[in-house]
Amino acid sequence: MKLERIVLENFRQYYDRQQLAFARDATRNVTVIHGVNGAGKTSMFLAINWCLYGRNAENIKVVNNVGELISKEATSRANPGDEVRASVTIAFLHNGDRYTVKRTLIGSKLQTGKLAVNELDQFTMMRQGADGRAQPVSNPIGTMNAILPVNAREYFLFDGEKIDNFAKPDAAAEVKEAIYLILKLKVLERAQYHLGKVAADYRGELKRTSGGELRELLEQDEQLRTKRDKDIRRKEELAQEIESARRKIVEIDSKLRDSQNAKSLQLQRDLLERDLKQRRTELEQVVESIREKASSAYSLVAQSAISQALTILNEKRERGEIPSSIRQQFIQDLLERTVCICGRPFSEHGPESEHLRELLDSTVPGSLEDAVLDTSAALAAFDGKISQKKDDLTTNMRRRSELIEIIRNLDAELDDVSRQLKGSPLEEISRLEAQRRNFLADVDNHNLESGALVQRIEQTGKEIATLEKSIAKARKERQRGEKLSIKLELAQKASDAIAEMYQAFADDMRQRIEASTKSTFRKLVWKDSHFQDVQLGSDFNLEVIDRYGQPARPELSAGERQVLSLSFITAMSQVSEEEAPLVMDTPFGRLSSQHRDSITEHLPKMADQLVLFVTDEELHGQARENLNACIGAEYRLSFDKRTSCTMIEEV
Amino acid sequence: MLRDRIATLFQKHDPALRQVILDVLEVEQEFISMERPRGIYDRIDEIVSKTAEIELQRQGEEEA
Repeated sequence: MKLERIVLENFRQYYDRQQLAFARDATRNVTVIHGVNGAGKTSMFLAINWCLYGRNAENIKVVNNVGELISKEATSRANPGDEVRASVTIAFLHNGDRYTVKRTLIGSKLQTGKLAVNELDQFTMMRQGADGRAQPVSNPIGTMNAILPVNAREYFLFDGEKIDNFAKPDAAAEVKEAIYLILKLKVLERAQYHLGKVAADYRGELKRTSGGELRELLEQDEQLRTKRDKDIRRKEELAQEIESARRKIVEIDSKLRDSQNAKSLQLQRDLLERDLKQRRTELEQVVESIREKASSAYSLVAQSAISQALTILNEKRERGEIPSSIRQQFIQDLLERTVCICGRPFSEHGPESEHLRELLDSTVPGSLEDAVLDTSAALAAFDGKISQKKDDLTTNMRRRSELIEIIRNLDAELDDVSRQLKGSPLEEISRLEAQRRNFLADVDNHNLESGALVQRIEQTGKEIATLEKSIAKARKERQRGEKLSIKLELAQKASDAIAEMYQAFADDMRQRIEASTKSTFRKLVWKDSHFQDVQLGSDFNLEVIDRYGQPARPELSAGERQVLSLSFITAMSQVSEEEAPLVMDTPFGRLSSQHRDSITEHLPKMADQLVLFVTDEELHGQARENLNACIGAEYRLSFDKRTSCTMIEEV
Repeated sequence: MLRDRIATLFQKHDPALRQVILDVLEVEQEFISMERPRGIYDRIDEIVSKTAEIELQRQGEEEA
């Protein structure tokens, strides 16, 4: 992240629109903003923080107890009911893209002169890619966190008075948190934890959904299909056996027909069988017809209710309680034509016309009359149909009984013929008839078995269809399970991979920070021969070792603590290799000239971009001279006592 | 950059796994300031599911 420009509009004492551009040059990377106490240095520092993160972000107070953010001058100049806006816009570069973020706060001036502020500010972020096209960022808060997290901002945008925080005793937790945040250890730690939890969820889901269900279903399916195929094959065999037996019967019949002694009986049997075949066909048709009529037999139940309804309608009509069947339209037509239905003309004022007009008065409006007539007609027609159905059903049932009787008689006659042939004194005829009976018995048995097989095949088919649905469902589950298995493997391996490298990476980062802090500290501190070493223990305790090999941090002066802290911060910036600005509000206030000189000499080279809010007293003499070659932009905050407003003036 | 340095730490791993790790790290960075990062599990699931689908497709093609 490299700051490019800031625009303040009615923000605190910055009335109207004020802006400044930050130095971004690789060699002239320092922006110095001068201001006496109260001129607006802290307000501008606040403006940067507020613009990027708002008042609060993720339970972190970014802007706290600072009073009104909207310019009092702008409020005083507004009329009651007017809207007053304060905004801060920051343009910065990050990873090759240019971002513009703007935060706006809106208030409305009341009659009392006070300002009613809408606490919800508006935050927008635009990203301009290499092609120069700017587009709004859909997740500005997440993106801002990815660039510079709110909880990491204080290591880059810091108040000089609090700069020694990392060097204070018991600062290990803060040092650790800073390293974890800036050097991505926290990201790695959280990623490992979250991936592990996601993997555990996948494992649980997989346990619930998996199992040998599909295998069992497929086995069942295979068994059913084998059974069905076997039944189908048996049915085909039976059909062939039936056909063969029938052929044999035809051959026997032919032989009997050729035999002088059996011919008459065989011809009688031929006739009886033909008749029997016809009767059986007829019986099948009658049974089918009965089945059809019986399926609509529910209407028979309604017949008495329909007859009763028709009787009631007729009685009411006779009593004149409901309209007669004479339609209004019909009477009106007769009156218009003045011709009777018999063709005889009548006078318009004669008794016939008078009678017709009386009739017209006794009828009711057409719509009701039509409804009553239509209902009666429909009920009558329905009643007729039911009666017809009832008669047909009775006829069919009677015919069925007759046919059964006829068939029984024909069977008996056929039995008689068979018995006569079987009892023939001629052995050949008797043998043929015995064979014929056996073949007939075979046909009957085979038909029975075949019929049972048809039912079983049908049932198995239904079972297979049901099973197929279950298999499709289980297959889907399995596919889901396969995907879940891969997901589990990925999440678990990712978590394990992070855990595997984490400690080595954390130790490496800690050692790099230690080396960099030591190197910077020895450059910046003027008693470099006294302080021999800087150590960052595995407990993240930042320690300075003196020439006697003793821990010297408790003895560090306030300035030395500040230098140690600054060394640590620049070390983090260097080790993280992330481009980031160092924005420091009054950083040299508590430093002696030796430290000031060394910091101004070395710091510009250690940071990508340095923004210093300073008083004139902080930056003069050698310190000023040290910075001169690196200053790319310089401003003075000029406070106007008459308006209590600050102007930004380029120096 | 530190991000590239971290990426090299996972170089020995399968590319699909490496992609999952790096994508999850990006998401974690977005949520880093949240104590209770609401919605992060859905985001991680999206990343893992997307990679798993590609893996399934690849396995299917290899079998075919």
